[in-house]
Amino acid sequence: MVNARVDGVVVSTVCHPSMRGCRMIICQPLDENGADDGAPILALDPLAAGQHQRVILSTDGSTTRERVGDPHSPLRNIIIGIVDELD
Amino acid sequence: MRLGTVIGRVVLSKKDPAFKGARFLIVHPLSREQFRDAPAVPLAKGDSLVVYDDLGATPGHTIGFVQGGEATAPFLNPTPVDAYNVAIIDSVTYAPPK
Repeated sequence: MVNARVDGVVVSTVCHPSMRGCRMIICQPLDENGADDGAPILALDPLAAGQHQRVILSTDGSTTRERVGDPHSPLRNIIIGIVDELD
Repeated sequence: MRLGTVIGRVVLSKKDPAFKGARFLIVHPLSREQFRDAPAVPLAKGDSLVVYDDLGATPGHTIGFVQGGEATAPFLNPTPVDAYNVAIIDSVTYAPPK
């Protein structure tokens, strides 16, 4: 699981069938101090996270395949929580 | 999944039987600076990879691709694929906080 910030959104019409109707967002992984850590990645967003909101994303493909209901989905990253507070 | 710009195609006549009818693209992954203005910012040298494609992307397209184990998930039979084109991207809205 990765702590990340929502930095944008992408739109696609020609895509794998398992992605149809799903929102795809650009996430910036963050380190323990909240600083940017590495290059942005794309993640599926079933929770409708807002711009610049802190999120937790799962990088486990089997979780994502289960969520989209397609055992042949190539997707890996999925938002599993929106952060309210960080101590 | 990562974003990349298609910069070329690969054609194979001798290949693994699992690749019958397959299309391959040469893709340059986008850096943070290139996310905003993809693909207007010139691409750096090196770092490109070959991606399996069944959506029909052509050079100039921005695509979303996966690497690693998930790249083989769409195939019914074992296929030696390491990068797979998941989506042809129409628009990218990228606005990191200042």
